[in-house]
Amino acid sequence: MKRIVAGAGWAYLGAIYVFIVGPLLFVCAASVNGAAAFPAAFEGLSFRWYRAILNHPEFIAATWTSAMIAAVSSAIATAAAFLAGYAMLRGRKKEDPVLSTILASPILVPQIVLSLAILQFAALFGMGTGLLGLLAVHTVHGLPFALRLVMTGLARFNFSLEDASLSLGAGQLTTWRQVTLPLLRPSLIAGFTFCFILSFVNLPISLFLTDAQTTTLPVVMFAYIESRIDPMLAAVATIVVVAAAAATLTLERYLKIRLVE
Amino acid sequence: MIDATVADRPLVPPLPRRHGGLRAALRWRTGGLNGLLLLPSLLLVFLFLGLPLVVVVISSFQPNVLLSFEAPGFDNYKYLLTRAYYFDVLIRTIRLALLGTIVTLPLGYAAAMLLLRLSGRLANLAMMGLTFPILAGPLVVIMGWMALLPARGPIFGPLVALGLISPPRILGSETGVLISLVQFMLPFAILTLYTSLKQIPRELYEAADSLGAGPVQSFLDITLPLSLPGVLSSAIIVFSLGASSYISPHYLGGAADLTLTTLIAQFILATYNSQLAATAAVLLLIIMVLCMAGLVALVGRFIRP
Repeated sequence: MKRIVAGAGWAYLGAIYVFIVGPLLFVCAASVNGAAAFPAAFEGLSFRWYRAILNHPEFIAATWTSAMIAAVSSAIATAAAFLAGYAMLRGRKKEDPVLSTILASPILVPQIVLSLAILQFAALFGMGTGLLGLLAVHTVHGLPFALRLVMTGLARFNFSLEDASLSLGAGQLTTWRQVTLPLLRPSLIAGFTFCFILSFVNLPISLFLTDAQTTTLPVVMFAYIESRIDPMLAAVATIVVVAAAAATLTLERYLKIRLVE
Repeated sequence: MIDATVADRPLVPPLPRRHGGLRAALRWRTGGLNGLLLLPSLLLVFLFLGLPLVVVVISSFQPNVLLSFEAPGFDNYKYLLTRAYYFDVLIRTIRLALLGTIVTLPLGYAAAMLLLRLSGRLANLAMMGLTFPILAGPLVVIMGWMALLPARGPIFGPLVALGLISPPRILGSETGVLISLVQFMLPFAILTLYTSLKQIPRELYEAADSLGAGPVQSFLDITLPLSLPGVLSSAIIVFSLGASSYISPHYLGGAADLTLTTLIAQFILATYNSQLAATAAVLLLIIMVLCMAGLVALVGRFIRP
């Protein structure tokens, strides 16, 4: 009887995982199917849809734009998060709840409202859509995530190491460079990576802010799906999935950082 | 959203019991160097979130040339709230988010309890599996659903062919949206509940066991009451994810099944009515705040101090 109950439990958990990860794996599997439709019966392993991406320069250009926006916004968000987290935790055991709520507020606002807000804000200054608005929205969207990861690192950081360094005659900046930042490197890298991935795959925050010259990969995919959904798109999606998974696994394996604990 | 899953920190830290107010907190915090260090991130939030949101609120009261509302006022709100079509959009947004939350929480709770029994490498992998769809992005996941859910797709196709069921209409219906919402919400719910369940001291169960309590009784007397704060925070996260979800209703809902998020997009991308878009955005924010306050009041009553 007990074994039946336990078996049912594991079967349930398995079903939940199939439900959560299934659609994703289905897209990945469809991308290496040689068939011309999506979805289609399996017609043999083929990478022709990956080669087909090369005929769509708009996807390649948008990938670079997305990567650039993700890199710049994550770098700014992680740096600002480090400074804020440091100020909140140095010399104190607990962060200030009011301050952390303010800094976490970008996640409480629906992403599409974020996009709308930046659009209407930029219009006040006669600015249209484009790179600056995209950078602004991606940075503010990434800030809470960077802050969480940096704060986990800071919570474990022993601030008396800084006092030791300061008392031995090192200045504040030298102390940061030689003591604090090296010890916090894992959580800074995790914060940056997490921000980067979330920025790279995000559609709604960019939705109203792209223009003909500057457009992100998810927005190009969005426009493409409107007309048709084909295995080429599955191939693009699979590349994104594999890259995100590879980044997470690398972090876990070589830096012993987990995005989720 | 995802930060709820990082370590044992809550999504949004609880407000202090006695509010000293923002100014007091800033004064306390911003002595000397600390103020300077906080400046960049506070400035980011103020410039790229605070001020823009104020602009949205103001814009929702602006005259609307397209509808020939010539003076500033509540005309945009009146317009959206008195027309059955738009009012339905509002109700649909709440209904989908609430239904999603109601379905997701028990499913996630059971999964989190089972995950607690895993350990070592397997537990690690299981946790990473949960973040997989979050990191891949909802757009990719939605493509999967768009391929899987058609009446003659890989899931229902064989059943229809065998004559077991009549072709279901899942795509382009609220059911489709709900399925993908639940799938999107589950990892967040599981991760939050897992963290909360993990904090219950094992000794309590040993004590209950030695006093002769069965599994059902120790669940009702220990697990459930002690995990209620976790249930509350995951309900808040999951509800706000549901109400602010754009991609699921856009792709899986029917053309007539708009939610507030897709309505905002329609106002901006199709009908170019930015005042109504702002009004819909403010309504969405109000709904979210009200529903979360409702959740806190409802579940909070059962939480023992």
